[in-house]
Amino acid sequence: MTSEYVPGLEGIVAAQTAISLVDGANGRLVYRGYVIADLAEDMSFEEVAHLLWYGRLPTRAELDSLTLELAASRAASRALTPPAMATLQALPKDTDPMDVLRSVVSVQGIEHKLERPTIPLAIHATASFPTILAAFHRQRHGLEGVKPRADLAHAANYLYMLNGEESPPELVRALNTYLVLLADHGMNASTFTARVIASTDSDLASCLVGAIGALKGPAHGGAPSQVMDQLEQIGTPENAEPWMRAARKRKVRFMGFGHRVYRTYDPRARILKAMCERLNPTFYALASKVEETALMILHEEHPERPQATNVEFYSAGVLQAIGLPKEFFPPTFAVSRAAGWTAHVLEQVANNRLIRPQSEYIGPEPRRPVPLAERG
Amino acid sequence: MPEFSPGLEGVVAAETAVSEVDGANGRLIYRGGYLIEDLAAVATFEEAAYLLWNGELPDKRELDDLRHKMSAARRLKDAARGALTSMDPATDPMDTLRTVVSAQGAAKTLTKPTLDEAIALVAVVPTIVAASHRRQKGLDLVEPRDELGHAANLLWMKEGTEASADRVHWLDTYLVLLADHGLNASTFTARVIASTGSDLTSCVVGAIGALKGPAHGGATYAARTMLDKIGSADNAEAWLQDQHAKHARFPGFGHRVYRTYDPRAKILRELAKAAAPELQKTAEHTEEVALRILHEAHPERPNATNVDFWASVVLTGVGIPKELFTCVFATSRVAGWTAHVLESLTDLRIIRPASIWKGPQPGTKPVPINSR
Repeated sequence: MTSEYVPGLEGIVAAQTAISLVDGANGRLVYRGYVIADLAEDMSFEEVAHLLWYGRLPTRAELDSLTLELAASRAASRALTPPAMATLQALPKDTDPMDVLRSVVSVQGIEHKLERPTIPLAIHATASFPTILAAFHRQRHGLEGVKPRADLAHAANYLYMLNGEESPPELVRALNTYLVLLADHGMNASTFTARVIASTDSDLASCLVGAIGALKGPAHGGAPSQVMDQLEQIGTPENAEPWMRAARKRKVRFMGFGHRVYRTYDPRARILKAMCERLNPTFYALASKVEETALMILHEEHPERPQATNVEFYSAGVLQAIGLPKEFFPPTFAVSRAAGWTAHVLEQVANNRLIRPQSEYIGPEPRRPVPLAERG
Repeated sequence: MPEFSPGLEGVVAAETAVSEVDGANGRLIYRGGYLIEDLAAVATFEEAAYLLWNGELPDKRELDDLRHKMSAARRLKDAARGALTSMDPATDPMDTLRTVVSAQGAAKTLTKPTLDEAIALVAVVPTIVAASHRRQKGLDLVEPRDELGHAANLLWMKEGTEASADRVHWLDTYLVLLADHGLNASTFTARVIASTGSDLTSCVVGAIGALKGPAHGGATYAARTMLDKIGSADNAEAWLQDQHAKHARFPGFGHRVYRTYDPRAKILRELAKAAAPELQKTAEHTEEVALRILHEAHPERPNATNVDFWASVVLTGVGIPKELFTCVFATSRVAGWTAHVLESLTDLRIIRPASIWKGPQPGTKPVPINSR
């Protein structure tokens, strides 16, 4: 049995999962049965990670124990082993932070060789991402590294290690919500990458470096920094329509619009949009005008297509308000998605089958090669 | 929505002209339409890589140009050297390869994959593999030599002395045979990563991670370990019967796609006679017994020997320790990975499949923590 080729595997089922459901038709994102809007406001990233890994929200005692485990893994000695620290220091200061993360997560995985992925390994990896990123950020600015604090949660620690001081509660809360919203999203390209790698019985670090590599792509996690670039070029709300009409003539894509799965407004974008309005009014004034204009132009061009704003668009404004430089947008996405990637790897290995699709050959019919001396 | 096919078995995930695994007829076709056995007889690894990238075999001038570019790209950058020396020498060579390739490709800005990047990546892999081996042995690293070809350089950097022409030839043949193989899991990984618009290093790092799995690139190591345990031909029957009784699988047998003898296994089987005469005898008898047992158990299944089985014998003859087998596999397959990534760029569409929801019905309201 061979099915017909569907580009991008669109609509092709590649896995059964109980971790998250992207209900595109109804504009719902569901984590383990809970609709994202019900989780985003009140849950900590830790609670949601527990939900993704274990399938249920933690009790107080379970949350305390997870928090302790995360704190232990976040400590510089475990999050940045000596080889990881040396690798970090060997990378040039202007390296893309995604390449830093890919390389350091890889070197950190060497101590686990070919261990089967487990929840403790998932917790350790997830805990370590902010430590790695913050250490690189401090290093490239010639600043002393900042040790994580055991009394701070995941979001707060990330900002604390980056900045060397505690961030205002409002911003910590905003980052926490962002981390909750982005933690998982069905069979997206990076999660799928992690599952394909896991399907060969490889180790967790291999799955994660593959996923980081996929997330780096502009069509995936690289989009929010491109949203920022585009907004910077547009500059002012008044310039939105002229700039965007001219851009379309040059076939420029509007960054932050359209999604393969959602046929209505992305529920995460809705929440982030409201956060943006509150936290980043300057960005919001420009972005909401750009959004309105983009949707109008896209609708004019393709009235039949659902052209909603996607999560990347307002992510950019929220992350900017939190104080992150734009090259840290994709790796901060990774900080969140690490929870989902690891949950999917665990689900894949629990009921595994090597993912090895087929291809359709479109090359020439068999023929004989000519030896080198007779070529040319 | 179509039904779920576990492992995407039978699902077409790409159109490709890079290679075709014609499982029903036991044929492997490389780009340009060449059967693997015809190609292995006339082409070096460099020529095969050129073919996979460009769709045609190179003429003398094109081949010289490629060799030149590869020579220029064999050395590690400072960041990669830093990553390499940071690691415990006992580190799994695949972990070393994954990390050092990542550091070698670390860049300030994301660039679209190019052929020159592909050439540079393929060129540098033997340097890392050899360095990993020498560090494990506590030996100083050996610099590559510009006048040596790819296979010869790997052995040179690994050993610090020039290898015999035979050993170079056996390794080169292995590298040609393993350079591509349709949409296997690591190649598919590379294509999924490429589909997001990511860079070539990210694709190759992910592919290395997938190849590391025992169900993929680790199978050659497993086949060699089995032959180690069997020890000699007269022990094959007892050992295999015992394993079979325990429902253990025989590494090196069976393949999802081939329904007949793997054409690469056929070539390596012949090569093994000269490359590793002693081990070949054990292997030949092991194969005979294994195929008989498998056939008796499942007469309906095509249970042919796969490439890993005979590759493990030939690589032993080349003098590669089994701990390096998966890395040497990567040394070859990186040509195919990069060719697939470059091919996919012509019609890039994000690979984002669907999934079937097996979780609880959506809409349960979360209970606040203090009431849980």
